[in-house]
Amino acid sequence: MIGLLLCLPAALILGLGFVWPVALLARISLNRTTDMGAMEEAFSLETMAKLVEDDFTWELAWNTATLSATCGAIAVALALPVALLIRSAPPQWRGLLSLMAVAPLLVSSTARIVGWMAILGDRGMINAVLAWIGVVDDPVRLINNWTGVRIGLTESLMPYACLVLIAGLGRLDSRLEEAAATLGATRTKTFLRVTLPLAAPALAAAFLLVFVLGVSAFVTPRLMGGGRVFVVATEIFDLALETVDWPAAAAMAMLLLGSLGLAMALRGLVAKVAR
Amino acid sequence: MSHLRLEALTRRFPGAPHPAVDGVSLELGQGALLALLGPSGCGKTTTLRMIAGLEVPDSGRILVQGRDVTALPPHKRNMGVVFQSYALFPHMTAAQNVAFGLEMRGHPRADRAPRVQEALNLVGLGALAARKPRQLSGGQQQRVALARALAPQPDLLLLDEPLSALDAKLREEVRDEIRALQQRLGTTAVFVTHDQTEALAMADLVAVMNEGRIEQLATPEEIFERPATRFVATFVGRAARLAATVTQPGLLRVGDAELRATETPASGAAEIFIRPHHVRPLRDDEGAENTLPATLSRRTYTGDLVTLDCATPAGRLIADLPGGSPGADLRVGDTLRLGFRAADLRVFPA
Amino acid sequence: MRILAYAAAALFAAGPALAQTGGRVTLQAYAGIFKDNYTQTVLAPFTARSGTAVQYHEGGTSAQMLGTLRAQRADPQIDVVIMDVTTAAIACAEGLVERIDAATLPVIAELDDQARASGGACGPAVTYDHLVMVYDTRAVTPAPTRWAAMWDPAHRGRIALSAPPNIQGLAMTAILAHANGGSWQNLNAAMPRLREIAPAVQTFDPNPDGYTLILNDQVRFATGWNARAQLYRDQSQGRIGVVLPEEGTVFQINTINIVANSKNRAQALALAAHALSADAQKAFTERMFYGPTNARAQVSPEAMARTALAPEFRSRVIPLDWTEMVRLRDGWNQRWRREVISASGR
Repeated sequence: MIGLLLCLPAALILGLGFVWPVALLARISLNRTTDMGAMEEAFSLETMAKLVEDDFTWELAWNTATLSATCGAIAVALALPVALLIRSAPPQWRGLLSLMAVAPLLVSSTARIVGWMAILGDRGMINAVLAWIGVVDDPVRLINNWTGVRIGLTESLMPYACLVLIAGLGRLDSRLEEAAATLGATRTKTFLRVTLPLAAPALAAAFLLVFVLGVSAFVTPRLMGGGRVFVVATEIFDLALETVDWPAAAAMAMLLLGSLGLAMALRGLVAKVAR
Repeated sequence: MSHLRLEALTRRFPGAPHPAVDGVSLELGQGALLALLGPSGCGKTTTLRMIAGLEVPDSGRILVQGRDVTALPPHKRNMGVVFQSYALFPHMTAAQNVAFGLEMRGHPRADRAPRVQEALNLVGLGALAARKPRQLSGGQQQRVALARALAPQPDLLLLDEPLSALDAKLREEVRDEIRALQQRLGTTAVFVTHDQTEALAMADLVAVMNEGRIEQLATPEEIFERPATRFVATFVGRAARLAATVTQPGLLRVGDAELRATETPASGAAEIFIRPHHVRPLRDDEGAENTLPATLSRRTYTGDLVTLDCATPAGRLIADLPGGSPGADLRVGDTLRLGFRAADLRVFPA
Repeated sequence: MRILAYAAAALFAAGPALAQTGGRVTLQAYAGIFKDNYTQTVLAPFTARSGTAVQYHEGGTSAQMLGTLRAQRADPQIDVVIMDVTTAAIACAEGLVERIDAATLPVIAELDDQARASGGACGPAVTYDHLVMVYDTRAVTPAPTRWAAMWDPAHRGRIALSAPPNIQGLAMTAILAHANGGSWQNLNAAMPRLREIAPAVQTFDPNPDGYTLILNDQVRFATGWNARAQLYRDQSQGRIGVVLPEEGTVFQINTINIVANSKNRAQALALAAHALSADAQKAFTERMFYGPTNARAQVSPEAMARTALAPEFRSRVIPLDWTEMVRLRDGWNQRWRREVISASGR
């Protein structure tokens, strides 16, 4: 009883901050937009149907899924050595190192992107170095395109991957690796045969988290894509705030929410079957 | 040539005031079982980990069959280690756990299966090869760990508190199994424990460690009967401890009494250790090298033993008697005479 | 109460000798520099004359303002709204703002034809702005006079354009269509030029805006709205150059509307009347270089020269109908994505 009461604030916040807005969105997605842009009250799946029939919607879905899958996978792959390093560090350093690994979360996304401009821009650090070495004549295009978004998104997802992996690997008994070493396994073999398989659940959890974050990422595709990167989140923004087509924006948001829910459910199913 | 030889091994952890292991040297013959016995923090586990290669000594050498392995990483030493919590790979079956070492040591696939089965049969788990560790009981996990360590035929078997996670009854059973197996295979073994009974029961040699040093390296009997230092006398077995003064070599004044000992310091203040099983009540007509009048102040019956707690002019003395032996039926407040041999007194300078 | 309000409005409308309406009114309009200047040049005099306090509600973008109006439909907290004509048309169609004519708001008679037509059945245009080319005066010499300057290979990679559905992108496309095909609706005439410049474009989504990118040395050319560009030019001591190119420009129009079921309708009407009056239009144009919509506004020649209403510029304004543009928008948007941005080769 007390437990239920203690859950009340969270339930309230969840209700007010998530369930209610989503319900509103669902309602708006059933409205129609006239050809002059006005929103008409309706109870129809017309808007949703139009989106589903539009090839561009599927292109967006594909773009979004591949972008977040790629960046998510790279972020997890890059976070793994960081998490392993932190795990093997002396206990008194672990807190500080963990903090450093997730420190990028403390930087505002806008500031981070300004930093990326200075590094990746046509006249940024990397291109300056490349030009100085004489490798390239024309600057390499590293920002305001897909490349830039991939770099930026991967970096912005890494702290989350680190967070999950640090927690996940912390529970991994280091004596198992010692045991492998005493049984004749080299460091590489130990990593591949013992550490990696045991870290698999943590890796999967980290990937799922960053994938979902990647799918809903807006700021990085928007600010580092230079208008060349179309993903579901940027499209929802355009529909809501440029063309002011709320029903379409809401319908797309519902589709996104639905697919993420489906992805989660599938994962749960796969995990159950795997066990 | 000794099978294992440690030369002045020293390991100091960063920031620690004292070395964890401080100049440990010992030799162990082929096929022998050495127990490293001591309280927690005495350096026994660190010593074992240095032998396994999991810890690097600051100085000193480790030789196995005359070969210096001090600088070798663990995977290049041929050691079978049984960890305190077994450290079985949870994602592998018992058989895969056992096969792991064989695979890493380059045994061909065809050769592995029979050897895995053999190793599991050896510990009586042939039928459970396909189980994952979480499907095995603590004792079974213990045996898989042992089979895994033994399967690659290691130069040395290293066991870190291998029985501590088992309940008391199982502990004795597994203890005897390990010892039997070790003797059957002729594997040289080092075994870390804080439990003196385990050490005395299993080992050919016992090294009692304290604060990073070996206090005494000897056979179990020697350790128990002739502790070399006050620490060993205190740590191993029970003893009555009496403050005394050496009046002349072989003669001590203890409270209002005078006692004889075969070995004493030349003079000065001393402490006497007398093991309870060396002390017995005397019949009226019976004499002993040392006799003391006593009053029984407490009697504890534990079935196979009766422990008499007595007040004497020399101080408090304890006598262990087999149940049913003369004197076992004394009551609290009864007076008696206690006797013990001069050779059974251990006297250390205070 | 309602009758009283009407009476007050009628009284107010009757002549320049303003009645003291008192009370308060809430205006929703753009934030930042627009707010500061509008408050000083238009709202403060209004309050001084009418005794009506004006609450300024910072609305963000026009789309966000429309969102606020939609959210408050049942209980409007806003009385007057200034926003982009395309968004205002939606608000008008959804009945979020009042239909209005010269009978209710006599000052409408003083406005120019386009200003009256812009609002449709609802509120008229209150400011004209127009698309300009902004450039880095340190890097681009001599001063460019045509949009075509951006096509110069020397500036490859240093161009910021906004892609549709952003209205700067739509405006730019319309200008190119007009320049190359004679009509702003002729998208086919604009496409080759857009495909041609696409690879030279640094970004199709300048953030935070083109002016900032120029000041940060990211690009040399961008598109912008005149009023803001003029302010940036002054603030940057001429680093930012502003051109109304020879190929032409189109207006961005803000209309002023009375929110439907406004709780302070009399004051709202009074504020709208003041905002549209020749005096207020003159003051705001001279401060911020938005073109006046009141034909009687006597704007100083210096300020006029920096708007599109200067005699030499007037003919360059392409008559774009934003209502029609909204219908074309989706098609333009798609062709941009499929043909321009995908050809931009980054």
